[in-house]
Amino acid sequence: MCAYYRNNAYEEDPGYPDYSGAQNHTRGYVKTRDYPDSPGPLNNSNYPSTRSNPYSVGSRSSDYPQSLAEPDYIGSQSNPFHPGSSREPGYPASQQNPDFADSRGGGHYASSRTNPDYLGPFGEPDYPGAQGNSNHPGPRSHSNHPGSRRNPEHAGSRINPYIDTLGEPDYPGAENHFKSLNFFEEPDYPGAEDYQNSPDIWGAPDYPGAENDRDYGSSENPVLSRTSSIQPSFHRGDDDPLGILGREDGDYPESIEMNSMEMANPYGHPVPGAPGNGYVNPAYVGDDSPGQAYGDPLLSGCDWLKSPQGQKLIASLIPMTSRDRIRAIRNQPRTMEEKRNLRKMVDREKSKQPRGVLDFHCCAQGLSSIALAYRRAKSSLSELLSSISLWQKTLKVIGGKFGTSVLSYFNFLRWLLKFNIFSFVVTFSFIIIPQLTVAEKNNLQFTGLEFLTGAGYFSDTVMYYGFYTNSTIRHGNGGASYDMQLAYIFTVGVCLVICFFSLLFSMARYFRNNFINPHIYSRGIAKLIFCWDFTVTHQSAVKLKQKNLSTEIRENLSEIRQENIKLTLNQQLARFCAHLAAWVVSTGVAVACCVAVYYLAENNSKFLENHREPGAVLLLPFVVSCINLAVPRLYSMFRLVERYEMPRHEVYILLIRNIFLKISIIGILCYYWLNIVALAGEECWETLIGQEIYRLLLMDFVFSLADSFLGEFLRRIIGMRLITSLGLQEFDIARNVLELIYAQTLVWIGTFFCPLLPLIQMITLFIMFYVKNISLMMNFQPPSKAWRAAQMVTFFILLLFFPSFTGVLCTLAISIWRLKPSADCGPFRGLPFFIQSIYSWIDTLSKRPSYLWVVWIYRNLIGSVHFFFILTLIVLIITYLYWQITEGRKIMIRLLHEQIINEGKDKMFLIEKLIKLQDMEKRANPERRDVEQLGPLHVREHDAAPDLRFRRSVQEDNPKV
Amino acid sequence: SFSLFPSHTRLYYRYQDLAPQLVPLDYTSCPDVKVPYELIGTMPELKDNPFRQRIAQVFSEDGDGHMTLDNFLDMFSVMSEMAPRDLKAYYAFKIYDFNNDDYICAWDLEQTVTKLTRGELNAEEVSLVCEKVLDEADGDHDGRLSLEDFQNMILRAPDFLR
Repeated sequence: MCAYYRNNAYEEDPGYPDYSGAQNHTRGYVKTRDYPDSPGPLNNSNYPSTRSNPYSVGSRSSDYPQSLAEPDYIGSQSNPFHPGSSREPGYPASQQNPDFADSRGGGHYASSRTNPDYLGPFGEPDYPGAQGNSNHPGPRSHSNHPGSRRNPEHAGSRINPYIDTLGEPDYPGAENHFKSLNFFEEPDYPGAEDYQNSPDIWGAPDYPGAENDRDYGSSENPVLSRTSSIQPSFHRGDDDPLGILGREDGDYPESIEMNSMEMANPYGHPVPGAPGNGYVNPAYVGDDSPGQAYGDPLLSGCDWLKSPQGQKLIASLIPMTSRDRIRAIRNQPRTMEEKRNLRKMVDREKSKQPRGVLDFHCCAQGLSSIALAYRRAKSSLSELLSSISLWQKTLKVIGGKFGTSVLSYFNFLRWLLKFNIFSFVVTFSFIIIPQLTVAEKNNLQFTGLEFLTGAGYFSDTVMYYGFYTNSTIRHGNGGASYDMQLAYIFTVGVCLVICFFSLLFSMARYFRNNFINPHIYSRGIAKLIFCWDFTVTHQSAVKLKQKNLSTEIRENLSEIRQENIKLTLNQQLARFCAHLAAWVVSTGVAVACCVAVYYLAENNSKFLENHREPGAVLLLPFVVSCINLAVPRLYSMFRLVERYEMPRHEVYILLIRNIFLKISIIGILCYYWLNIVALAGEECWETLIGQEIYRLLLMDFVFSLADSFLGEFLRRIIGMRLITSLGLQEFDIARNVLELIYAQTLVWIGTFFCPLLPLIQMITLFIMFYVKNISLMMNFQPPSKAWRAAQMVTFFILLLFFPSFTGVLCTLAISIWRLKPSADCGPFRGLPFFIQSIYSWIDTLSKRPSYLWVVWIYRNLIGSVHFFFILTLIVLIITYLYWQITEGRKIMIRLLHEQIINEGKDKMFLIEKLIKLQDMEKRANPERRDVEQLGPLHVREHDAAPDLRFRRSVQEDNPKV
Repeated sequence: SFSLFPSHTRLYYRYQDLAPQLVPLDYTSCPDVKVPYELIGTMPELKDNPFRQRIAQVFSEDGDGHMTLDNFLDMFSVMSEMAPRDLKAYYAFKIYDFNNDDYICAWDLEQTVTKLTRGELNAEEVSLVCEKVLDEADGDHDGRLSLEDFQNMILRAPDFLR
């Protein structure tokens, strides 16, 4: 603006000696007058009263420090017009603008057009020099500049006239311009507000449009870029490095519109004018963070680092240990470059801090380099480990094709496998290896059928309880002795305790992550949309997922629509009856199965007496596996009758029914084993139970294999060839997971009777992984329903913990405390109870004075009823307290949520008020109309700005009215 | 210095593979090279991702999808499994914020839904979905989702970006 007026002034005075050069320049502006969007008269009318004052006085005299202005603008003194033009509100030239606009555009500058270099850039109607008066200098200038910048001649020639004739601060030529831009970097620069505004205005439209924003260029809303140019939109901060600068400024400029408009002109010029620096801003090249154009809504680059926020971050990073610091830096949402700079900066700051003696420094350096080397070694090691980590790649493929929900099944499988590996390692090293050292020769014949029955040859191996000795193993004379009895009970005990805690902790972790605030977001459409599974990379899978997602969204929408439609009484009644009937039938089927299994088991011994073939023992496991195979499928069919509104309800109901069935079958079998087999007086009942469990497990495995290879394959054939309407089936996560839980329950029960069971489970799980993987790839399509996979895993672990693991604990507790071990085999032979071994061990210890503390602990803590009573009481009290705390937090969360809502309303209210005030102001002094026009627009576009800003502008507007 | 980290080296080779004629084998001599989006978008990780363009834009220096090696490394470090959820949520927000105004407004949501469903929903359904999403997630009821709203919602969503 300033420049523009000054140019006018020169034109007014044709006799001005330097003017000839300046004409080239002004010509451009005149051209802009012709542009319909920038009505000259309007601008001019505003000028004397509003613009030129704050503009020339404010920006020149007060905002620019003298020290800066003077050295930069050497030529300014020589120019008699300069002081007058910029400071005088009633500057004649500015008042004559209307004339200027019309006449100059046509006549006076005709000659200037002959210069082709200038025409390109300046001939553009958008030229901002003039439009500063109108409302939107930004976008125009932006479209203009690419041209001007590309023209080196133009740039050069433009600089000259400015330096020579005008010598004004606004047209400082390349050098001045560089300088002024460099000052932008200085956060404490007094005139920073103005500077920041101006580059923003230019930078914003300039950069994206010209080069950076190839993709956005067209798609971006013109209104948006316009607003950003009108007002320094610090919050857009999208593509323009310069716009970001504005944020350094803690004090947001008071009247945004005014400032930006005024500043648009003087600073607008130099930016494109400087040769070749339209894109590569010298201030930024010189800067140590060239990557700040990065789309960061906050600050970026070193500007951000220099901001109070950045400083705070740096300050907080300094006291950290180097490892924590690196982690903290790594977790910053910044680019690599910025992170590097941040680290450098922190290191620099840190080195500034006073240190101890020099050698300490050297020592610290040496240490840090060692630490660095160690870290690198560790990172490469962990990478190596993760690269050889089990099934990493397969899991990636599964995730890519089927998404996280199916992946959760395989992750669960892998988790169980690790669990079993751990159990196996413990039992192997503490029970099996010691037993192997004293193993007797096995005389039984091996036929091969033993793999199925688990009997025969295997019953005289380390596999079963009966094989273990009750003696103390001692190698050599005076060597360490190893009490097998104690080792057996302690190993199994420790195994279970560790399982208990790892289950408990993983369950707690999942609960903490997944059930924090389930009530707030009820339906979860938002989650549906924002939880796009970025792991899915396979093309057809992506397409399918998109299709499924749209289906689910439709379902969800129809649910929402139907929600208002109340079911009639008849429908409700019918639905209730259907549910009731389904429950009755499912429970009835489960009970019938249990009864059948019980009678079968009871009559099994008689049956076995009649049928001496070794394969006869497989009858019971076969029947149980058949039930496990068939009944869940029957349950799945209930969905046709029940018609749950929410698919999630359906899954949960199905899970509950299935787990009820499986657990009650296992419960019935346990009852049978503990009450009938154990008391029947067989010679080695523990081994018999172990064999039963082995057979059940193996049969289950065989059925799963057959199901995968035959059932699922056949289903695919039927779905693809015969009844095409069925299509491919979906992977039933619930059923498959329940099979895993069932098998794991058996393993836990069996570990006591058959210590090698974890190994067998390991092998079966390992095979199952590949089988399921192959079957999945061949026979299935990705699930159509969006599964809440993480919540389901939480639920699975809960199921694994609650009925399964606690049931196992009860069963084992009953057998250890109540049952009489068989008299002739196993480590506990001859004892009245299994637990008797512990009692006698304590008795022995109490005779040795050095072990009295163990006895004391046992007597007063483990064996004491009072201790457990007090412990339970304390735990109950703590639980109650925590419960109350969570209740309080829930209330707190609710209140805070309400507060957030109120804040939002507050914001909206303030915005409305602001608009109203601006309207009033507009009516009050109509000559400021163009500013007012800007006002509401600005508000509407930029309510993106934080509350603070609005409040300030409201406050600022209030006194005016 | 990156060559000391195996993962970086591996990523560098992948970066180099994308544009062998552009990226020199010895990277230290030519740090200003950019691989155009057309090549970035062909990577198997991004090829079929409906948001591939947004991802490339968000991580590229100038928002145009053309990536320097640093941008490339940034992208992979955020997309890796090890990246903290906060960081992922932050970048996810940026990905969903199509017009870069630091708010997910109804327009952004429409874009998201259209991309997610391959345009299978009609306009009325899309706008209904957007309305519902705003209903659910807009904590301060200002008609669009801020970063805080988004994080609040997404970090509680267990299935988010794993």
